[in-house]
Amino acid sequence: MPTITIDGRQYEVEEGQNLLASCLSQGLNLPYFCWHPAMGSVGACRQCAIIEYKDSDDEQGKLVMGCMTQVRDGGIYSLAAQPAQEFRGAVIEDLMTNHPHDCPVCEEGGECHLQDMTEMSGHTYRRFRGLKRTHRNQYLGPFINHEMNRCIACYRCVRFYRDYAGGDDLEALGRNNQVYFGRQCDGKLENGFSGNLVEVCPTGVFTDQTFSRHFVRKWDLQTAPSVCEHCGVGCNTAPGARMDFSSRDENLRRVVNLYNRDINGYFICDRGRFGYEYANSDLRIKNVLIARREQVIETTGRRKDKLHREIEPPAALELLASAIVDAQRGRRRLVGVGSPRTSLENNFALRQLVGPGNFFAGLGARDLELLHTLDRIQRDPRISIPTMPDIEDADAILVLDEEIGRTAPRVALAVRQAARNQQRDHARELKIPLWQDASVRQLRGENTPIFVLGSSASTSLEDIAREQRLASPAAIASFAGRLAELITAANGPTTGDEAGSGRTPLPEDLEKLLRGVADTLLSARRPLVISGCGSGEPDILAAAGKLATALADKQGSPCATYLACPEANSLGLAQFFEPGEGTLEQLLEDLRERDSVDPPVTLLVLENDLYRRLPTAAVEALFDRAAEVVLFDSLLQPCSRRADLVFPAAATPESQGTLVNSAGMLQRHYMVYEGSGYIQESWRWLVDAVNDPACREAGIDTSPALLRQWQHCHEVTAAIAAALPCFRNLTEAGPDENFRIEGMKLARQSHRVSGRTANRAHLHVAEQAPLTDPDSPFTFTMEGVQYAGASPLQANIWSPGWNSNQAIHKFQQGVGGPRRGREPIPRLQREPAPMPAWLAREKLVQEPGQMYLAPTWQLFGSGELSNYSEAIAGLTDAPCAQLSAADAGALGVAPGARLQLRLPGGEITLPASVSDHIAPGVIAVPVGLREAPDLAALLPAAAEIARIENPEPVEPGESV
Amino acid sequence: MLTNPLTKNIGEPGIVTTLEHYLENGGYRGWRKALHMAPDEIIQTVQDAGVRGRGGAGFNTGLKWSFVPRGKDAPPTRYLVCNADEMEPGTFKDRLLMEHDPHLLLEGMAIAAFAIGARRAYIFIRGEYHLAAARLETAIEEARGENLIGTHITGSDFQLDFHVHRSAGNYICGEETALINALEGQRAIPRAKPPFPQVSGLWGKPTVVNNVETLCNIPHLIELGVDWYKKLGRGEDGGTKIFGASGRVKNPGAWELPMGTPIREILEQHAGGMQDGLKLRAYLPGGGSTDFLGPDQLDLPMDYDAVGKAGSRMGTGTITVLDDHTCPVGLVLNLTRFFARESCGWCTPCRDGLPWAVKLLMRIECGEAQPEDLELLREQARRMGPGNTFCALAPGAAAPILSALKLFEQDFNDHITRGCCPYDQERQHIPLAV
Repeated sequence: MPTITIDGRQYEVEEGQNLLASCLSQGLNLPYFCWHPAMGSVGACRQCAIIEYKDSDDEQGKLVMGCMTQVRDGGIYSLAAQPAQEFRGAVIEDLMTNHPHDCPVCEEGGECHLQDMTEMSGHTYRRFRGLKRTHRNQYLGPFINHEMNRCIACYRCVRFYRDYAGGDDLEALGRNNQVYFGRQCDGKLENGFSGNLVEVCPTGVFTDQTFSRHFVRKWDLQTAPSVCEHCGVGCNTAPGARMDFSSRDENLRRVVNLYNRDINGYFICDRGRFGYEYANSDLRIKNVLIARREQVIETTGRRKDKLHREIEPPAALELLASAIVDAQRGRRRLVGVGSPRTSLENNFALRQLVGPGNFFAGLGARDLELLHTLDRIQRDPRISIPTMPDIEDADAILVLDEEIGRTAPRVALAVRQAARNQQRDHARELKIPLWQDASVRQLRGENTPIFVLGSSASTSLEDIAREQRLASPAAIASFAGRLAELITAANGPTTGDEAGSGRTPLPEDLEKLLRGVADTLLSARRPLVISGCGSGEPDILAAAGKLATALADKQGSPCATYLACPEANSLGLAQFFEPGEGTLEQLLEDLRERDSVDPPVTLLVLENDLYRRLPTAAVEALFDRAAEVVLFDSLLQPCSRRADLVFPAAATPESQGTLVNSAGMLQRHYMVYEGSGYIQESWRWLVDAVNDPACREAGIDTSPALLRQWQHCHEVTAAIAAALPCFRNLTEAGPDENFRIEGMKLARQSHRVSGRTANRAHLHVAEQAPLTDPDSPFTFTMEGVQYAGASPLQANIWSPGWNSNQAIHKFQQGVGGPRRGREPIPRLQREPAPMPAWLAREKLVQEPGQMYLAPTWQLFGSGELSNYSEAIAGLTDAPCAQLSAADAGALGVAPGARLQLRLPGGEITLPASVSDHIAPGVIAVPVGLREAPDLAALLPAAAEIARIENPEPVEPGESV
Repeated sequence: MLTNPLTKNIGEPGIVTTLEHYLENGGYRGWRKALHMAPDEIIQTVQDAGVRGRGGAGFNTGLKWSFVPRGKDAPPTRYLVCNADEMEPGTFKDRLLMEHDPHLLLEGMAIAAFAIGARRAYIFIRGEYHLAAARLETAIEEARGENLIGTHITGSDFQLDFHVHRSAGNYICGEETALINALEGQRAIPRAKPPFPQVSGLWGKPTVVNNVETLCNIPHLIELGVDWYKKLGRGEDGGTKIFGASGRVKNPGAWELPMGTPIREILEQHAGGMQDGLKLRAYLPGGGSTDFLGPDQLDLPMDYDAVGKAGSRMGTGTITVLDDHTCPVGLVLNLTRFFARESCGWCTPCRDGLPWAVKLLMRIECGEAQPEDLELLREQARRMGPGNTFCALAPGAAAPILSALKLFEQDFNDHITRGCCPYDQERQHIPLAV
């Protein structure tokens, strides 16, 4: 490692790094704006000037830009030399000539990188006497505020938005000091990562509009590390909460990225950032609700809907306890329905209460089969699951029918970085350091080979894909299977029935692509296969697995394979079940069989909207057959209409628990704030019920008795680790509540938090006793360890002089390295086993004239929870049926037509829309929408077009 | 011996040299000769002749060409770009060449393209030069018609096509990498180097960008050889150069003269000296981004190095003269306003420093400045030193400011102490030269 001297002190630094990053890695303070650890150097702001000396005799030195200068072994530099200090102050002075003096009313204030750097540079007095230039601001959609007057033209926004995230509707316009960063005209920023502008912008040009509506300063937010609950990637987040002074409840104010090198790095997607508002939704359940006896008048609701009233928790718990007692005595059967969007702890508690035989996954058969297929592939020792840096490093990528831009957006962002690997190789040849972003990006040439196959086009990858092909899932599975055979060069007999055995003849364009893709994957050193559950076709997964294992056999090392799961804990939930067990269909069948037989069934539904899992009729049948429905959830979702008892469950940021992401990583989320009203974790309601006097008096000796032992979350965690071998390292996901750093807990609040006594002074002048957290080593006050360098658990990224999130470099092992003190994320400990040769399923489309109905997942609109967030709800599309122009022509579908489609599960009518992004023979239907939740349960399916209602032709000249 | 290779075809003002006339006058002989030379030989010739870039930087042209990767592994696609974005204040030499003798440029470009192996050449021309652009397009058609360029070049299997691209207008496009960005349809901001354009330029391909006048030097050099070329110069550098003079001289204009012609000769013999009643106060030797030199420096030869040693730059070689009845503060303000407006907006000292300098100069010019503003102006200009900014625009803009503060300190002080521009009243009585 090179040794350099900075202001007389010697430092060992990373070879080939630039001076700015090296200084920051050494803990030295050097101001900067345009440089970004993930985006490299461009030399625009000239802020990081330092003096470089030729040798020890050189007293004059030369002013160089730290971000543009590579460290030289034996190099002598000075940050403190007067010319360097003066120049840095001068740059700030220049920047400030147009920056408004609005810090007190600016939402960036208190976490503003510009404020920090101004302080650091020492520029204090204003000498500029002219007018400041002013700009017009734009409407950029519901997520982002635009305040261009504050802009210091560091170009980070466009570099992130365009260069890093591939957006094209934000640009630098104009020139000189009128340069303007915005869109060509007002309108929503289209890119799904636009929210990162809030963190990337060093000042207050781009701020979080959802945060604006309930703004507080960063120092007043309490925070704890959390995990995003809006998809299966498991990005780390730092939600911020603060008491709402009108309702006196704690209120979730915003979500920001929490650096985790292996997963999200510096960036999260907009669903993750802006989806949090569901936690503040008017539909939040804050009290225990019980069904009233009154019947619903049919004009106001459906016949079986229930009206609810609030009930005191002890009364509700007594009811639940008596059901448990009845179940103990065989007079009642408790059936638990788990959830892929809540923690292992909640699921396990329910499973423990009802017994594994009565615990169901809360997923339809196909969804669970997909997860089990995915799980079996991941267990194969020939498969390695890549981290995000691994994905960014891939040199050939094949994406099989998974629109990762919508189902695992952060992965799509990583793939976008991988697309530049050929460019990076070229830069290495030319000896251009990779951090020299402005230089590296000039090296045009081919992208890393990325092949994308889907039944509908991938809008997130189409501009970087070398080849993108639209094909039916059957053809894609067949393609992957044929590829696998080409790669193993297997002439041996295949059963022909195996999934991906290539028995579906390939369309001509895919047939032509085969050889090229095979050669590319074979010659790649770090090939990556991406697929997931998004297509709804287990065959796609099976074929992806077959291909990846074939590649692994050929290259003699495991093949990186990323398989996206739909929800935050899908993979965790699947671990509780053996393949083929625990589906909702089985539950329904089970209840049907026992219909007339005693005992009556109490259905305990855990944080799950079953209308998204099964066709509506099946869900209704399920509820019809239950004598009693108890729902634990955070929101009044559709199932609550049928519930007899509703317990308010904590949302992810209000609770502690462990989630298993698509990569099998076990990640703990901590309670950021206490939910209002009677909100608590679902498992606590179950424990409370078991501890209810009714249960105590009756005495419980079977499986529910274990719940009595649980007072702290870690006891549940430990019980899971003891019960299921795959979770045996679950306790490594984080420390228990007794963890201390030099005798202290970690503080959720910053040392600057205000209003400690004033917040409740209208109620009582005495300071309230702080809340205690039985589960985690966090306090709810400012007392405790605040310094993020002391523990990777501290989510308040702050360091003296570094109030913005840029402070993260103080807590990394070198800029861009892992968080200091952070243990590797524990992963599922599954029994390795080679994946079986799955039999290909019956193809859905059997008869001519049928169309394949493919589910398409939306970034905004398909997330169950984020759909309840105000900003996102406004962006969701209406349900529709998209089909290719060729099919529309052949079927006679005119623009504006409505399609009546006959599916095995029922009939649906959707407005048609013609798109050149859909494979022939396929009708793509957005699923997961709040308006039509059951579409997800019905698709994929073969459909007959029952009727096409074309709009009435308009006579020419007739006024419409 | 031919002593005016650049302008020998330029006769009457306003008359364009047609292909016929150009060929009659020995045109395209250099090109025909070049087609039978090895590219390396051409590059070596240009390098040996010491042709220095006429755009202002004075880099050895042959050396620049030699950086283009050659050999089997080199990328097959390369580009030649002619920088015809002549926007330097006070400069009009390229316009003269392009408007009157477009074929000379085309011939030079053809040889350069052949030498570096480029099959496509672009002329990036200042948008206001519509006449030159139209004449170039006509000339390209003529040359293509005679198979001098195009897909069927007589006597060669080399293919070459020319495109004229009219700039949307931005001074920074004179910077070669910003020009490349603009040509690609990107924002006109300079690129980071390395990679240099010769390695990765236009659309990521090896690219050479040369000034119009530089390329016009090539045909005769190839035809007549290194020795002839070297003998043309009177000083260190070989060849001839178009020198010009603007300002209140008797005969403003541009003339092809040997390299190293003394400035006094240019101003007194060719430009006819100052207009009656006016004295030479100072001059900018090579455009708005060069330092002022005083009357004591008139005997300087117009050579890259000689002018450099005197504390300025030869730049484009077109001299801007300041007389004693024109306010130097006003001149500097005018220049600085131009540079501030033309800043691409990429780096801070240029983008935000220049507008501040304009505001200070305006205040000084209007007599509203305070004494400390002078120091502030000097400080601002010093911040824009070479290396402190991303490209050479701001250091160029700072050059006249800093040299003016030195040379005309009294004028700056007078503005401040009198609270007005001392030249204001005089100005009314001096007729402006047309």
